[in-house]
Amino acid sequence: MSGILDGIRVVDLTMWFQGPVAAQHLADLGAEVIHFESTKGGDLARGVRSIRALPVGDWNQYFLVINRNKKSMAVDLNKPEGREIMHELVETSDVFLTNLSAKALEKWECDYATLSAKNPRLVYAMGSGYGPFGRVTKPSFDLTVQALIGIMSRLGEPGQPPIYLGMGSGDAMGGMMAAFGIMLALYARQASGVGQFLDASLYGAQLFMAAPTLQAYLATGEPRYLKQQARRAAQNALWNRYQASDKWLVVCAHDEGDAFARFCGAIGANALVKDLRFASADARRKNAQALTVVLDEVFAKRSAADWTSALRAKGIAASPIGNLADLAGDPQAWANRYFMTTHCDEVDREVTIRGMPVTFEKTPGEVQSLGPVLGQDTEIILTETLGYTWDDVSALKAAGAIL
Amino acid sequence: MSGALDDVLVLDVTETFWGSLAAALLGDFGASVVKLESTDTTTRELVDVDDRSAPGAWNSRFDLANRNKRSMALDMSSEAGRSIAHELVSAADVLITDKPAPWLSENGLDYDQSRVSNVSIIYVRGSGFGPEGPDAALSALDELAAARTGMMPILPQPGEPPVYPGHGQMYTSVMLAFGAVAALMHRRATGEGQRVDASLLAGNMYGASLDLQAFLAIGGERFLKATSRLDAGNPMSGTNYPTSDGLWVTLTMPETDRWWPQLAEITGMNAADSRFATHDLRCGEGRLVLMEILDLAFRKHPAAHWKKIFDERQMSADIIETYDFPRNDGMARDNRYILDLEDPSLGKTSMLGFPIFMAETPAVLSHTAPRLGQHTFEVLTDILGYAADEIVALAQQKVIA
Repeated sequence: MSGILDGIRVVDLTMWFQGPVAAQHLADLGAEVIHFESTKGGDLARGVRSIRALPVGDWNQYFLVINRNKKSMAVDLNKPEGREIMHELVETSDVFLTNLSAKALEKWECDYATLSAKNPRLVYAMGSGYGPFGRVTKPSFDLTVQALIGIMSRLGEPGQPPIYLGMGSGDAMGGMMAAFGIMLALYARQASGVGQFLDASLYGAQLFMAAPTLQAYLATGEPRYLKQQARRAAQNALWNRYQASDKWLVVCAHDEGDAFARFCGAIGANALVKDLRFASADARRKNAQALTVVLDEVFAKRSAADWTSALRAKGIAASPIGNLADLAGDPQAWANRYFMTTHCDEVDREVTIRGMPVTFEKTPGEVQSLGPVLGQDTEIILTETLGYTWDDVSALKAAGAIL
Repeated sequence: MSGALDDVLVLDVTETFWGSLAAALLGDFGASVVKLESTDTTTRELVDVDDRSAPGAWNSRFDLANRNKRSMALDMSSEAGRSIAHELVSAADVLITDKPAPWLSENGLDYDQSRVSNVSIIYVRGSGFGPEGPDAALSALDELAAARTGMMPILPQPGEPPVYPGHGQMYTSVMLAFGAVAALMHRRATGEGQRVDASLLAGNMYGASLDLQAFLAIGGERFLKATSRLDAGNPMSGTNYPTSDGLWVTLTMPETDRWWPQLAEITGMNAADSRFATHDLRCGEGRLVLMEILDLAFRKHPAAHWKKIFDERQMSADIIETYDFPRNDGMARDNRYILDLEDPSLGKTSMLGFPIFMAETPAVLSHTAPRLGQHTFEVLTDILGYAADEIVALAQQKVIA
């Protein structure tokens, strides 16, 4: 089966997560992605185990999954020969992607002006920290940018510490945005014949990630979008989280029509319908906290799975709140290829990896390999793609320009 | 300058915030987006999903998710209405929808029926849980998908209720838009249309990529239960510490050797302290002690003090802000991440802008969200070639509004 991006070559001068994952989406759809790395250890993400920035298993799941389906070239861009290789490669490529600092890119002659002059058809994609018109120049990471958005401060119970949305949550958004931007630029290029510069910054992506509540706050300035809200202060008790006898569950019902009666029927609390405090939607909104307290007592009596089936039987949306182990065994995720298995050379066994986030009927994409060994493709790309001789390769090695 | 998707006609059959926003992203980059709506107004109830009766809640999210679109109002319960919908399917390049499967088949807008009108249609569907599997028919509610993703119990501190973060649906929005353009690339090369799916479960899972992949590789209890903020693997990375004025600082300094001398200096520690002399000590033996010391040190000064130091020294750290930061941030305006608008009825207001800067094909706000049926006449005339008297007749039969 052919991939959507067959024949598209991407030079991936990125590290950590935001940049590499953008290129991974393109590689999954068939692009030839060359992860361009330093000769001294390569992408820092190869070293997460010793850096202890993130937990790593007996295989480096962090680097290997983000860089699946890619090739690796190890080249020293501090050397003129290394920069020459980069420039020649860019001349034959469709996309250049980076999340490195402007300073490094200039030093290595990988800035937009230099590369677009070498190849006017080049799509030059940047995953910056704060945007092309930002004034902030300090290093940007997922969490230090997520901190600025405001979303962390509004989650959790009042008085609790701010809540991080998960490791790399903002990088993941930045990566998907950059992949979307690159796809737009490639589509535009089919008509115009020329490439362009684009930037999908961490800051822009994370503002967008907060859209459901940030947009409401931008428009209304209402403090309830700004501050932590107690679970029991929700204005509709039928749309909330409750602790069942084993785990928590979430229930989602608009309080309209006969929803409250059905809700009470489902949980065997018909007496509540006659309770004057809860006699109308208006009354229930005024007494939402009292209703939540009553429902807390009811839900504590049976399991989350029991309540979920009882509520669903009455047409009310509900779900147990699972953990990552529940997800790892969820047949729904497996049926849709959101999980896949593949062989991992590092430990020589099948491993489970996150799969394809978007399902394409005719061009589904696939995982052919996990992340490459540092520099594994340097020589073959030099000789086959760029026409270097083996003598050239030896000279480059001797000069330390390649690994 | 023109848009990247100038030649693309999108038929938008969406009702949710995240689904509508996916179509708006295509419109932002030049696609012509026709929002197909029912002649009654029930499709417009996007205010606060959990509380439709909230006082003062104006539908700004609808405005965001439906900008740059034209609204076409049809009575889909009539034969004539469904027939016009199919003419639109024939004309469209992309159909994007987040409606439940039964609604789509009843109204002749499922994939198979759409292909009858347009064999090369790109049919983009957002669902709750994906096209396959036992729960393919469950409601497309972000809360349900987040509950299945496994992150809610581990976001808060130990003993606290699980947290619903609400951002999972936003990955799904971008994935739908990405999928649509990828399929357009394929169609331009091969002439072949196809079905593209992205679900809220997929979006939530993708957003949780690193925690999830770490659990898959390592397993164990540590990813299943909330851990205390003072029990981080690296005291200097991914950690938050309180300030004297009740705000928080956050540090991301994974390679601690690079940052340790500066961090020690600004927090009044001795960089040569033998307990923390090496990276391994800071992240190993000395880890919990170092966290306690940092926790006390940052409490000695207000957030503004720390922010100034982080900026001056270009350190990889910041203050955890509220939504007031982007609301007042000039940099967000300079990058057009937030737009300031003058609304005829609301006065000055702000709206999220464009997360991607494209130099040659920039995103454009051509117009704000349309009134229901605002462009019915225009769409029937310009796209489907109806004559004025035919349109009047349809209006009289209440097929359109």
